[in-house]
Amino acid sequence: MKTYLHIIFIILSILTSAGVPAGGVYQEPDEFIDQVFANEPPKPEVLWLSKELKKQMADILDHNYTGLRIRYWQQHKEAERKSVWILEEIGKEKPITAGLVINNGQIELVKILVFRESRGWEVRHDFFTDQFKQARLQANHQLDNNVDNISGATLSVRAVKKLARIALLLDQQIQKKQSE
Amino acid sequence: MTNRKTKRFTAFLWHRRIGLLALALVIILAITGIMLNHTERLKLDESFVNTPWLLSWYGIEPKDEPVSYRIKNEADSHVLSAWQNQLFFDDKTITNLDQNMHGAIAAEQFIVIALDNEIILLSYEGEFIERLSTGISFSNIQRLGMKYKRPVIETSEPLYYMADEHILDWDVITNDGVEWAEPYTLNEDERERLLVAYRGNGLKLERVILDLHSGRIFGQYGVYVMDAAAFALLWLSFSGLWVWSSRRRKMRKKKHYQKHHRNKP
Repeated sequence: MKTYLHIIFIILSILTSAGVPAGGVYQEPDEFIDQVFANEPPKPEVLWLSKELKKQMADILDHNYTGLRIRYWQQHKEAERKSVWILEEIGKEKPITAGLVINNGQIELVKILVFRESRGWEVRHDFFTDQFKQARLQANHQLDNNVDNISGATLSVRAVKKLARIALLLDQQIQKKQSE
Repeated sequence: MTNRKTKRFTAFLWHRRIGLLALALVIILAITGIMLNHTERLKLDESFVNTPWLLSWYGIEPKDEPVSYRIKNEADSHVLSAWQNQLFFDDKTITNLDQNMHGAIAAEQFIVIALDNEIILLSYEGEFIERLSTGISFSNIQRLGMKYKRPVIETSEPLYYMADEHILDWDVITNDGVEWAEPYTLNEDERERLLVAYRGNGLKLERVILDLHSGRIFGQYGVYVMDAAAFALLWLSFSGLWVWSSRRRKMRKKKHYQKHHRNKP
């Protein structure tokens, strides 16, 4: 009898776990900012988007960016120039929210914070996001490293890649402005 | 009655039955077909349908009333409205919404709009500037107000937060001296203009005629109903031909027919 109960329990566990959607809020953007800056986040700043920058963003996103400014958080510590961006891009139908940390023009961290689609949530795993580490933006606005696709999550992968390129582009802009 | 007579009678009977059954659909097919052949002359692609039940049938008649707030900045006055998951600046569509609107104010530099868990910033020309998620720092916005020309938010706790002039950072404050945004009731003219904006250019008459012709206006099975009407037309053609030819054959056998048509080639 006990064995049967065990079997039924295992079957029920498998069935119910298969039906649970893997999307959702993995980490609140505020928590992500706190975590990156060890609970002492700097005040947010904004980058106003020029026409030229919006055009470059549109080329990366394959659609116009809606909005005239983007907020970011940055910290300069000795040789470290770190900026943090919370960006969104639609995978298939709904936006994926990602937190991106750029350090000295290289990606330090990519984290999927909110995933609203029903498919493609595999992009939240470290095995995928770790591929972006140390990536830089080339002159043609492509990443200088290769990021492998995930079968069944192509659109989500594409969206995260775009966000990585956008974050690097925006970081370049603020560094350029600050050096002027 | 002979077998041959029964056959002829059956064909005639079904010719009549199917003809009567398909009558309405064939009339629709014929009239809409003629209209579509002359789309440009009849200006079907330039005419718009404003019949509420038809717009509702197409899903472009709003089901509820808009939520509006009027803002004043110096000489300018604008109305911000949320209607059917869309945000409007006067009668211009700005963006899609998936949350309720709790207020709009004219702050020092921007127009600030509060949703359940989001803040939208617009310029005074109605340009979309930024959409901020309020996250965990404060959520469940109940009201939006203004103090020193800066936005103030009331949350469900209730707690009160005031933003800096650039709307970048929020500080907890007391609720003294806050001027809360009050919903605004649109007058008939404003509502009508908003309705036009909601519908976009509206529903083209050509679309309705096309959908009537194809049957799509009656839903997913409407196409099959029109297919049946087309098959009925085919049947009517063949059964009509059959009835006519069998009558002709019968007539030819009659004596008076032979008498009158004998000399004709």
